[in-house]
Amino acid sequence: MNDVLYEVRGATRTFRRGDTTVTALDNVDLTIGASEIVAVVGPSGSGKTTLLQLLGALDRPTSGHVFFEGRDLATLGDRELARLRLNDFGFVFQTFNLIPTLTALENVEAKLAPTGMAKEDLSRRAAALLEEVGLSERAQHLPSQLSGGEQQRVAIARALATEPRVVLADEPTGNLDSRTGADVVDLLTALSEERRQTVVLVTHDAEIAAKAHRSLPMQDGRLLEPVPA
Amino acid sequence: MVSCGRVFYFRYLRSELLRRRTRTILTLAGLALGVALVIAIVGLSRGLDKAQRSALDPLSTIGTDLTVTRSAQQEGAGFGPGGGGGQLLDANQSAVTDLSKLGKPGTHFVHDFFLPGTQLTFPTKQTKQIASLPGVAAVSNGLVLSAVHQEGVVPKIVAKVKTGGQQLDVFRRIKPPTAAEFAQMQACLQKAGVGGAGTQPNGQPQQGFGARAGGGPLDSAAARKCLPARMRAFRARITTPEQTLKQIVDPPQTNITSSSYTIGGVDPSKPDIALVTPSQVSRGRYLSHAGGNEALVAATYAKRHSLKVGSKLDLNGTTFTIVGFVKPPLGGQSADVYIPLRKLQSLASEKGLANVVLVRAKSSAEVASVQKEIEKTLGSGAQVASAKQVASSISGSLVDAANLSHDLGFALAVIAAAAAFLLAALLTLSSVGKRVREIGTLKALGWSQRLVVRQILGECLATGVVGGLVGVALGALAALAIGALGPSLSASSTSGGGGAFGLGEVLSRTATTSVSLSAPVGISLLLLGFGLALAGGLIAGGAGALRAARLRPADALRQVE
Repeated sequence: MNDVLYEVRGATRTFRRGDTTVTALDNVDLTIGASEIVAVVGPSGSGKTTLLQLLGALDRPTSGHVFFEGRDLATLGDRELARLRLNDFGFVFQTFNLIPTLTALENVEAKLAPTGMAKEDLSRRAAALLEEVGLSERAQHLPSQLSGGEQQRVAIARALATEPRVVLADEPTGNLDSRTGADVVDLLTALSEERRQTVVLVTHDAEIAAKAHRSLPMQDGRLLEPVPA
Repeated sequence: MVSCGRVFYFRYLRSELLRRRTRTILTLAGLALGVALVIAIVGLSRGLDKAQRSALDPLSTIGTDLTVTRSAQQEGAGFGPGGGGGQLLDANQSAVTDLSKLGKPGTHFVHDFFLPGTQLTFPTKQTKQIASLPGVAAVSNGLVLSAVHQEGVVPKIVAKVKTGGQQLDVFRRIKPPTAAEFAQMQACLQKAGVGGAGTQPNGQPQQGFGARAGGGPLDSAAARKCLPARMRAFRARITTPEQTLKQIVDPPQTNITSSSYTIGGVDPSKPDIALVTPSQVSRGRYLSHAGGNEALVAATYAKRHSLKVGSKLDLNGTTFTIVGFVKPPLGGQSADVYIPLRKLQSLASEKGLANVVLVRAKSSAEVASVQKEIEKTLGSGAQVASAKQVASSISGSLVDAANLSHDLGFALAVIAAAAAFLLAALLTLSSVGKRVREIGTLKALGWSQRLVVRQILGECLATGVVGGLVGVALGALAALAIGALGPSLSASSTSGGGGAFGLGEVLSRTATTSVSLSAPVGISLLLLGFGLALAGGLIAGGAGALRAARLRPADALRQVE
């Protein structure tokens, strides 16, 4: 294992649903190294997505700590978290989450725009990324004109646009058929390995999980015995 | 840092507006409607104010400060001869009695009756009294009459009534017999062998004729013969002489139709201060100075009766040529038809009489003192009205509309503005509400809160500007349409209460004027509407965006679209 990228200590996340409190994540301890490809597996409701959102600074734990490169995310303000998400994290969602009114190219540009990149660089870089995911010809298409697999490839290009340290993928194959899903995950892992990026992949598909270096099985918000890959 | 990259944000903004066309059009339409509504309502309200000012500013345009009239309601101490209501009643009833003089029954007739209405007439000589008061600059006489135009078949209004022939019984008390008569009676009775004892020679008979006296009972038949002749024939039968009376039968059953209008006698030698002035002529010309058989008619009356300049008016055999239309202001002594004063005086058999004196003060500051002076001089029977008092008697749709615009116009404008503002806000809020997930995605991509809010605000600004501009155009068009279609509002002024003499409406004179409505729209109003839409959109957009952008991205992403 290389340098430690993430260190999660006693992370608990509870949600209030009416009168009852639901514990989505229950006292999780976890360490993830740089350039590691990790699969978080488990049935739905086991807390996989919650864990991923804590790692991506999309949410804060109710108690416990998430350290990213030694920095406690809880101590960072909204602006610093935004910068972190922009430069160090890349997200891939189950529902793709492309901006429906923007073309494939513009969706990638949307990730690059806050970096303040010049317009020409922006378009060139976005076009290059689309080429990498094999969608050069579909650059001017709107998400509604793309298939699920194509949309997810645009999302991968978008996630990789700022050369982040980590790619966080939440059920990236959930809305795809198994063949397309496998292709998408292969593409993601291949591109990330090239860039020596860390990938945290949430899935309930054992085949997909097998493509990771390591699987982290979860149940009822708890991390089970880690299984070395 | 971001100067060059900004181009992306504009493209994003444009894409968002153009590719969500239905939502954008809906938002724009709502905004435009709200803005147009504010502009149209405020414009309309202003238009009503303007119309009211121009139509209801009575007398100010005709150089008259005060009008002096004499009303029947205040009898007695008036000025001029005659005593109030009785005289007026007689004058107004002449319309009924004159029917018999129209012609032979069964023939067609056209006749105009001129009635003084509720304003008593007085000799024009009295005007000089007013003219000599301090502060009075000019005076003029006017005669305003209610005219009843009747047309139809002369009714058979004569009936034969036979009277007399009755028998009357008359009873009279007869004087007692004198001493001479008494002596004669006694002699007569003695001769008849009845006897006359117990009586005094020259006094009342103590026991009457039926009293027993000396010898034998009284023979009544014999005694009656002895009465003096006048006492024998005190009963009389009177038979009244027979005669035939001609009497008016009321009401005449015929096809007579009557319509009423008001007619004013104008002194054409004093056009500046007359009942109508040359400045009120809207078409044609004013009456000639000499005062021939010329007439002016109110424009509204002319329209109602399809009269033209040059049309002839026949008033009881005298033909008048309409030389012009006038638009008299309301509230004064206005009428439907104006002819020279002398002509009206002779037509209406009111020679040398007037019922209005128009007074102009030397300066506006003296109006009040002149009014008091006239009231003092003429006594309580005179009614001196200033232009201001006259204005308060005006009623009609224009006044109602203007009052409405005063009372409700402001409220309506506020409501419309609030509606436009709320509409803008709600449309924007709903539009932002549907994009919470997109905002969550943008935050996950690393967009800062400021960037997200700026983007949404940019969209709101764009829709606000476009929607506001469309609304401004629509509002201006609506105002133009109102001006072009020009819904006509009328205002009328009624003087005199007719009910007093039973002739009702005929006696109360009503003057009507109409003003076509416009909705003036100024730059400030357009800016107001525009600003409201923009403010509504920006405030709501900003609030909605801020709320969504403040959510934890995880929460925003969980939102279902």
